[in-house]
Amino acid sequence: MKQSAVDAVIRGLKRAGVSIVCYLPDSLFKELYPALDADPEIRTIRVTNEGEGAAICGGVFLSGKRAALVMENSGLRASVEPLARMGLGAGIPVVMLMSYRGELGENNWWAIPHGITMEPVLDALRIPYRVVREEDAIEQSIVEAYDWSYNAYYHSAIALGGSVVR
Amino acid sequence: MKRYDCMTALAGHLRDELVILSLGASVDEWYNAAPHMREGSLFQQQLGCVTPQAFGLAAGLPHRRIVSLDTDGGMMFNLGILATLGNEQPKNLFVVVWDNECYQSIGGPPTHTAFGRVDIAAIARGAGIDKAYTVTTLEAFDAHCEAGLAAEEPYVLVAKVSGTVQPDIRRKHSDGREDKYIFVRHVEKTEDIVIMGPSEHN
Repeated sequence: MKQSAVDAVIRGLKRAGVSIVCYLPDSLFKELYPALDADPEIRTIRVTNEGEGAAICGGVFLSGKRAALVMENSGLRASVEPLARMGLGAGIPVVMLMSYRGELGENNWWAIPHGITMEPVLDALRIPYRVVREEDAIEQSIVEAYDWSYNAYYHSAIALGGSVVR
Repeated sequence: MKRYDCMTALAGHLRDELVILSLGASVDEWYNAAPHMREGSLFQQQLGCVTPQAFGLAAGLPHRRIVSLDTDGGMMFNLGILATLGNEQPKNLFVVVWDNECYQSIGGPPTHTAFGRVDIAAIARGAGIDKAYTVTTLEAFDAHCEAGLAAEEPYVLVAKVSGTVQPDIRRKHSDGREDKYIFVRHVEKTEDIVIMGPSEHN
């Protein structure tokens, strides 16, 4: 990611009121994680798998603070169980920011499953999402995801793809 | 040692703490053992989510004591949270694991702790949680509750309890969605904050 894209993500998170980020690092967002760690207004929590991160974010919601789950899109699959239970069972929302591995242009065979499964899994969970491939749209898209989730009390997702992450 | 008796003892220590609760029969038991904590307890049916949610709540409200009432099945479902607690060292999180060595709510098939080898407290210590203990008596449970609720570091208490359920107790009628609203309104009231506020007029 370019520094300007990293800055746009952090501006969006701050405008949305996020003060806690749970993450499991990946390669496409590799410049984002240290920037989040270094930001004095954001507490980062490193998790052992993304489902754990989703559940922690759910707990943060209950505290009145705002959290984000930042991950590769493969983490969505690891998060399906807690997302289904919290979102569909209790109306506890999690906002996710994920890198779009496996879209057209992917050059790693192991990432192909991530691209094939991401959108169908989001659809199966009825999670609205936006794929952002233009840097200018990052900040506002993140803000709008929080607007939606804090009115629907349900999950939403932003996937960053294309030249934003490559 | 019966879980219900432990819950009654724990309830005697609680005032303004917030509780995240596991699934199964322990939900109805806690509803009856701690009636003064009903609004301050989130009753959820989420295997593997209980202690992570409690930690998220503890991270968001660092001045408030948070209690996680987890289970052997729930903790084994997501052991990674112990490593996260070991690294993050929350100062306000007390985790109780009801270890009845079975999946009680589906009739009692054994969990991994039933065979005398798997020790959740030892796993917790290995994950960096220094204060992690197993108790088998009500007296020891009560003493550890007092210590765990005052600790300035994560505290995990594994309570070895029988697989029995307290008979003739009142069932809780609300579902997860209603429970969330009750809990959130309680947090809003006691913290003087807004979590689920009004819609815009536009």
